[in-house]
Amino acid sequence: MWKTIVKKEILENILSYRFPLFGLIAMVLIPLGMYVSQLDYAKRVRDHDEQVRLASEAASSLNIQDVMAGTVSIKGFRRPALLSVYTRGFEGTLPRYYEFTQEGTKPGESSSGEESILSVQGKVDFVFIVQMVLSLVALLFASDVIAGEKEAGTLRAMLSNRLPRDAILAGKIAGGYAALWAPFAGAFLVGLLLLVLGAFPVFGGDTPARILVVFLAASVFLLAYFTLGTMISASSSKTRTALVAILLVWAFFQLIMPKLSDMIAALVHPVRTETQVSLEKSLLAGSLGMETAKELGRQFDLIFGSAPKGTANDEKSPERIKWDALKAGIEQGAKERRAQQLGAIDETYRQQKRRQQNLAVNLSLVSPSAAFARLVADVCGTGELERTKYAEAVQAHARTLDGALFSKVKRTLMIHAGGGTSLGFSAEPVDFKALPQFKIAPASLADVFKANWKSLLSLLFWLVAPFAAAYIRFTKYDVR
Amino acid sequence: MTDANPILKADDLSKRYEDGVLAVDHLNLSIYPGEVYCLLGANGAGKTTTINLFLNFIPPTTGTCYIKGIDVNKDPLEAKKHVAFVSENVMLYGNFTARQNLDFFAKLGGKTDLSKNDYYQVMRRVSLQEKAFDQRVKNFSKGMRQKLGISIAIIKDAPAILLDEPTSGLDPKAATEFLEIMAELKTEGKAILMSTHDIFRAKEIGDRVGIMKEGRLVMERTRQELQYEDLVKIYIDYMKSEPLAI
Repeated sequence: MWKTIVKKEILENILSYRFPLFGLIAMVLIPLGMYVSQLDYAKRVRDHDEQVRLASEAASSLNIQDVMAGTVSIKGFRRPALLSVYTRGFEGTLPRYYEFTQEGTKPGESSSGEESILSVQGKVDFVFIVQMVLSLVALLFASDVIAGEKEAGTLRAMLSNRLPRDAILAGKIAGGYAALWAPFAGAFLVGLLLLVLGAFPVFGGDTPARILVVFLAASVFLLAYFTLGTMISASSSKTRTALVAILLVWAFFQLIMPKLSDMIAALVHPVRTETQVSLEKSLLAGSLGMETAKELGRQFDLIFGSAPKGTANDEKSPERIKWDALKAGIEQGAKERRAQQLGAIDETYRQQKRRQQNLAVNLSLVSPSAAFARLVADVCGTGELERTKYAEAVQAHARTLDGALFSKVKRTLMIHAGGGTSLGFSAEPVDFKALPQFKIAPASLADVFKANWKSLLSLLFWLVAPFAAAYIRFTKYDVR
Repeated sequence: MTDANPILKADDLSKRYEDGVLAVDHLNLSIYPGEVYCLLGANGAGKTTTINLFLNFIPPTTGTCYIKGIDVNKDPLEAKKHVAFVSENVMLYGNFTARQNLDFFAKLGGKTDLSKNDYYQVMRRVSLQEKAFDQRVKNFSKGMRQKLGISIAIIKDAPAILLDEPTSGLDPKAATEFLEIMAELKTEGKAILMSTHDIFRAKEIGDRVGIMKEGRLVMERTRQELQYEDLVKIYIDYMKSEPLAI
């Protein structure tokens, strides 16, 4: 019996003004969004390739003197994510590259610097269209599913037959959603076709699978919103009441909750800014460096103060041998202290930040919209997972470069008792051509699902809970 | 007639709403195959509530409704197999054609193997204009909608038909056509319960006429009895009488 309802719902929607209107909206917005995103992606890739080329040219002329002079800056670039055409996510805010120097790593500029103020609302990409436009359309489509039939009196006519209410509800959701899904799926395919025609590499690696996941996630997201709208409709006796409730719910889930969760998390778990942490680290590093320089100066003066002139340059003299051993010990100790104390600052910051972010994420997942956006951003390589992988890759590369390059040159600064300073260098040979390349380990789809179990759970909840609530409301719905 | 089992039966039926209003008060009613029972009464007398109780749209406070011997409250789906319903303003899907509406409701009524011609035949039977068969019903007049509503009831072929003020707002010609169809259905053995304000047509079509006031069935007359009595006078007398102590 529910199939009859499904067919009727589809036919009724097709015959109404809503179907062509929504079809038009979807067919214009989604392919257009994809096309613009594709152009934007192509531009970012060109910029990236050019920057990589320039950096590799600069790296090819490096020599040990540059390292000794402390002017070496090796850049590790992040290639724009291929599927950022579906969602920009953190793409605009992630640094395009990191600079690796003897003093540490620092982020390069991000592409957000080139964007207009209007882009803070979000780029009109596929996820934005689904989140902000189609979710509202799904809710509006569902607004009169029950209340509208009651107002029209057709619900009484239906229920005067041998028709269980659960069959009506299931049929109306399935049919109404099918009428919504078909134009959406069509528009998605047209968008995909545009990518293919634009020679976009959609068929490489696991890209087709990822695109399929994006499509399925969007389909589930829209179904969740449609079911939510049905639940509201089944709780209202008039379509107008349902519409007001729907707009409030939409605003809460789309606009308020995701932003509110960040604010609440910042209030509950306040964290210092990255600039403050960076400043603290700089001050500490300077202070440690100063202490080490003073200690080295003091020891140097003690060993070579009464020694004949030139003893310090005689590698075989007992003073020099003693000095070399002492210096190595002091420098090693300083290095370890520096690593330990700076690492502790970093670790504390990371822990605090993680706690704040976890709270923000958990709160935001109350909204199906946030769950959808997080999942798809990770699938497309522009989400939290990519940011983490990028940060991990930067840390790993910094360690590798330190071993392969920066630690080969030792700069020894000494501050003597009288206030005088001296600077010494020692260097080991470096094979610049064999320096490791910066790489970000890509997150597999399995990693994405593992990292997004909460988002998946949230989406599942928003599929099941509104249906259950709609069912309960509808079984007690006054059809008179 | 009373030897047969009633198709529609209200047994000590009462309905008190949440706001305390007693809409139906200990109603006892039996309608037999081939019988038209007209329920008269002012607005709020309990006529529509009675129909809503038969359709299980609301649960009774006490008492039981039976359709073909099936307790409506206990087995509403099975009971609804045996009843068709036509409301005052026949509600249809405006963007559907007459045939599409008929097809949808016929399927809901369990008739899944009907052809286009079957639908056309039923619509011809209720004198719906041929050109309207495949027109969208949103532009139909009330009379046309009512005819289509009757078509839906006919095509379901249920032994009981509930009509909630079906002639309200119809022009005299349409109302007469409607009563002719009712008479045909009666001869086919349908048990028809019709709530109405229309005293004249109730007298014309009803085998029995009951008057409801404040939820109670205060008077009942057969067609034979009404030959010697003035139904209008009876009705007005009952309406004027003192409120009932409820």
